[in-house]
Amino acid sequence: MKNRLIEWIDERFPLSSFVKDNLTSYPTPRNLNYWWGFGFLAGFILVLQILTGIFLAMHYKADAGLAFESVQYIMREVNYGWLIRFLHSTGASAFFVVIYLHMARTLYYGSYRAPRELMWWSGQLLLLLIMAAAFMGYLLPWGQMSYWGAQVITNLFRATPFIGDQVVIWLRGDFSVGDATLTRFFALHYLVPFLITGFVVIHLIALHTVKSSNPSGFNLADKHNIPFHPYYTVKDLFGMAVFFILFCVVLFFYPYFFIEAENHIPADPMVTPSHIVPEWYFLPFYAILRAIPDFMGGVIAMLLSILVYGAMPYLDRSRFPGGARHRPFFRLMFYIFIIDVVVLGYVGAQPPGDTITVVGQVATFIYFSIFILLPFVSYFEDRWLIKRGLPLELQCLLDAKKCDLL
Amino acid sequence: MKEMIAKVITSIVVATACTVASFTAIAASPSPPLLDFTIDNSTAALQRGAELVQGKCLLCHDLKYVKYRHLADIGFTEAQLTLLRGESGLEDAVLSMMDSDARQEMLGMVPPDLTLITKARRGGERYIYSFLLGFAETAEGTATNRYFPGTRMSDPLGISYVTDEGERQVIYQQAADIVAFLSWAADPHATERKTIGYYVIAYLVLLTVLLYFMKRRIWRRLDDE
Repeated sequence: MKNRLIEWIDERFPLSSFVKDNLTSYPTPRNLNYWWGFGFLAGFILVLQILTGIFLAMHYKADAGLAFESVQYIMREVNYGWLIRFLHSTGASAFFVVIYLHMARTLYYGSYRAPRELMWWSGQLLLLLIMAAAFMGYLLPWGQMSYWGAQVITNLFRATPFIGDQVVIWLRGDFSVGDATLTRFFALHYLVPFLITGFVVIHLIALHTVKSSNPSGFNLADKHNIPFHPYYTVKDLFGMAVFFILFCVVLFFYPYFFIEAENHIPADPMVTPSHIVPEWYFLPFYAILRAIPDFMGGVIAMLLSILVYGAMPYLDRSRFPGGARHRPFFRLMFYIFIIDVVVLGYVGAQPPGDTITVVGQVATFIYFSIFILLPFVSYFEDRWLIKRGLPLELQCLLDAKKCDLL
Repeated sequence: MKEMIAKVITSIVVATACTVASFTAIAASPSPPLLDFTIDNSTAALQRGAELVQGKCLLCHDLKYVKYRHLADIGFTEAQLTLLRGESGLEDAVLSMMDSDARQEMLGMVPPDLTLITKARRGGERYIYSFLLGFAETAEGTATNRYFPGTRMSDPLGISYVTDEGERQVIYQQAADIVAFLSWAADPHATERKTIGYYVIAYLVLLTVLLYFMKRRIWRRLDDE
């Protein structure tokens, strides 16, 4: 019966071959470590956000006069409304944790390199879309920080050449953030996740064309590939379960950790909070914005700090495949970069002050220096490696024989 | 365009200067460290807190997201609720005895709503507790608050003028009960949330262990090759 049903479908729709090509026979390198599980996790969180979002939207009211109250209604009156809301608010932060780890893995192992540029760029686009969704979603509770965060960030669009003022009004639907902004942000916040889903499909089609990279950085021969299912489905599920435990600790015991105190006060256009901070996932970029004394320069630097990742396939000029594993200088730069981003995040959360501004400027300088120096470092690193004698593992991989790749 | 950039820069500079100024102002008069206490989540404490809030806070403050019906969750019986709510209905919000206009006229402002107050202040419950006990009499004989100099609220519990140690202990207890109730009001599902949390995490740990063994078992197939 089951077989006949599947036959019936297969004559009309490529179900079996799709499952075979993309799961049960989809070749995956057998040496992937747990860092390769974050893409799967990001997909899971996307689904979680969409599902919880749909249920929140059933009770939420996108109206400047009602929004704050409707969130309280969800938290108090809706059955398990608090759970849905905290899943969504904690999920937003978890999304960025996962995405940033996913990006860090890509950078460390050089997964952005040819032929995976389109994957990297579609990932970049996904990051921008997720940031947009998160930013617009943060306005919806209509608390003080929601309101003033949106005010500050929409104001950045004043930097648009020639039509800056009009762009800001067009974004807000008003001269300042107000009811019109809230309703359009709600509409877009509901739309963007579906765009994200679409680009995830593109990201996956690209992945299934070029296949996964792996820690060695080399394209492993067929005999080192194993089918995605069941090996990576079970490995990813295990990784996901571990992550979900941590997620639930925050969700059930520290759900207010990611919610600013100020956001428990309804938005008030007449009262500016003493210290406006964006959500933690924007802090490094916010620090870069503030590090440049000039408004226009700051906005450009902030934009560049996000878009510069797209240039990575060209900035990395090494001729040896892979990333930090075989390359000591690249590895060092990677760690400096990670520390630098953490410092920027800290600086972004602090109120402006003499010392903190200088720290922010130095960290911004280091941030961009790393990208600027990368072409030279990667070029000279290659020569240094050759001169010094390649590491055994790298030599082995280049010879592609008899060494244990895994 | 240039003019606009100049405007924006000026406003940023002014804003920054203001922020810096306000922070140095705060730094100049450092508030004392917050007082420590343990929140008693027992029904008795919450009920005492609710009655104190009704007696001391509701004159000027609202708890507009709390309805009288919700108070049944902290163990008030129907008879007790009838007594508490007076003319208000069970579905009515717990509001001040004065309407907003009257308060605006009398106090010059509508005091902040207390429903979320323990979440809306940095320091949370400890801040509110410290604030309630932070009133002290100055040399001029007026009351000020160590944690919020310049607050327009007057000392609700009398900590600034009561000197008898026994009575002061009562006030400490009252402050703790009020904060326990306000903490419940801000996050009424906290207890339920934590209980569910333990079950969910226990389940997930079990699931994770099982997945780990499943993973090991499936991957062992590769060793045979």
